[in-house]
Amino acid sequence: MKLERIILACVSLAGFANTTLAADAGKDLYTKTCAVCHAAGIAGAPRYGNAAEWQPRIATGVARLYSNAIQGTSKGMPPKGGNAEASDGDIKAAVDYMLASVKGGAAKPAPAVAAAPAKPAAAAATAAPAAAPTAAVDPSSNTSGVPAADINSFNRLLRPIGKRNPPPVEDGIHDPANDGTLALMAPLAAYGPLPKSLAGNRVNWVKAIEENKINPRWDRNDQAATPVVIDLNIVREVKGSMPDVVYPHKQHTEWLDCSNCHPAIFVPQKGANAISMAAILLGEKCGVCHGKVAFPVSECRLCHSKKKDFRPAQAQAAAAPK
Amino acid sequence: MFGKSAVQRLLLVAMALATVFLVDIDEARAEYGDVVINNYSDAAGMRPAIFPHWFHRVRFRCKVCHADLGFKFKAGGNEINMVKIIDGQFCGACHNGELAWSVENCNLCHSGKPGTPTQVHESTVQKLAPAALQKK
Repeated sequence: MKLERIILACVSLAGFANTTLAADAGKDLYTKTCAVCHAAGIAGAPRYGNAAEWQPRIATGVARLYSNAIQGTSKGMPPKGGNAEASDGDIKAAVDYMLASVKGGAAKPAPAVAAAPAKPAAAAATAAPAAAPTAAVDPSSNTSGVPAADINSFNRLLRPIGKRNPPPVEDGIHDPANDGTLALMAPLAAYGPLPKSLAGNRVNWVKAIEENKINPRWDRNDQAATPVVIDLNIVREVKGSMPDVVYPHKQHTEWLDCSNCHPAIFVPQKGANAISMAAILLGEKCGVCHGKVAFPVSECRLCHSKKKDFRPAQAQAAAAPK
Repeated sequence: MFGKSAVQRLLLVAMALATVFLVDIDEARAEYGDVVINNYSDAAGMRPAIFPHWFHRVRFRCKVCHADLGFKFKAGGNEINMVKIIDGQFCGACHNGELAWSVENCNLCHSGKPGTPTQVHESTVQKLAPAALQKK
């Protein structure tokens, strides 16, 4: 009897070890391959941790899920997720790994709390019943880092309002275990009185200076020093129907010295600078600042602000002042 | 009995894995313009330094650091080390105990998660061409 129990113990421990190894392999493969689609739900892939999306698939049986993952489906799942080198066992482990994210009740809400330590206990309490698949639709799951459950939810790929400008302990790059992190100011504490914008820090920094909401120093030691502002607009005609770019020296010289841009980034001579959106997106030319600290390229019209005249040349000439 | 404990342990493992995963998903949500500088920190056993652009631009115009102090417009491109800072170069021009708090507050700058790469977080390049970023 006693011997039997010991053997049973050994078997169950060995089984446990095997399961953990398989879980590791599944997670590895998931991170390398599956997550490309299954994290954000690209091409209709059921998202990791999203019980509502997985439920109908689980209903067809796990064996079916395995074979679909290995052989691919006509709906968009490539065979083995496009990673032909993965073994069938690894694929099954990855499927198990994703299934584990939507099964096993208590396993889900707890890490959500761990990922956002500053979240009030009340929110944790509402997240706790997320065990049942229906609870995944609970709006509180939006704050837990799990993608919104409803595939048709509004702007599901955008960052929810509550997750913008996070305090340092929650921002993913600061170490919450570092005592200094707690002493750092949260962005929103500073942004309160500043004019808003739709992108970047969501602060309109240019307007903040114009409206005297902030008065950043021009000289680090001399509070009274003021910039030499140059009021000179440069118009750049651009291809296609996009409005031409008006570059205002005024707003730039409020912040920058001539030497910051000239001559290294922009040759101060008309027609001497080849600028393209591709270069800007890769962090060159305007992209040295715009897309890193200054407003990003999503704000097209802030630069492309001069409408083109599409009337025939004759009409333009007739309308021109004589 | 053993079956139950195994289930519990499995649950714990699953929770730990899920935690790691969730943190991974949420990694890219730093404040726009936050620069992580990890040229030497990881190797030296320090947390990487984090420079919050937003905090500094409320107080100083770009020109102060990028023209007067010679900071290049490139994350990690200035090869800053503590000797230079203590000598009054780069961060040390202000973080000297007079204009701003001094270098003994290690953890205020060195506050990043170990292993976080050098880059401007939330930047367009980080989102569109992370590979190009790493080559440079």
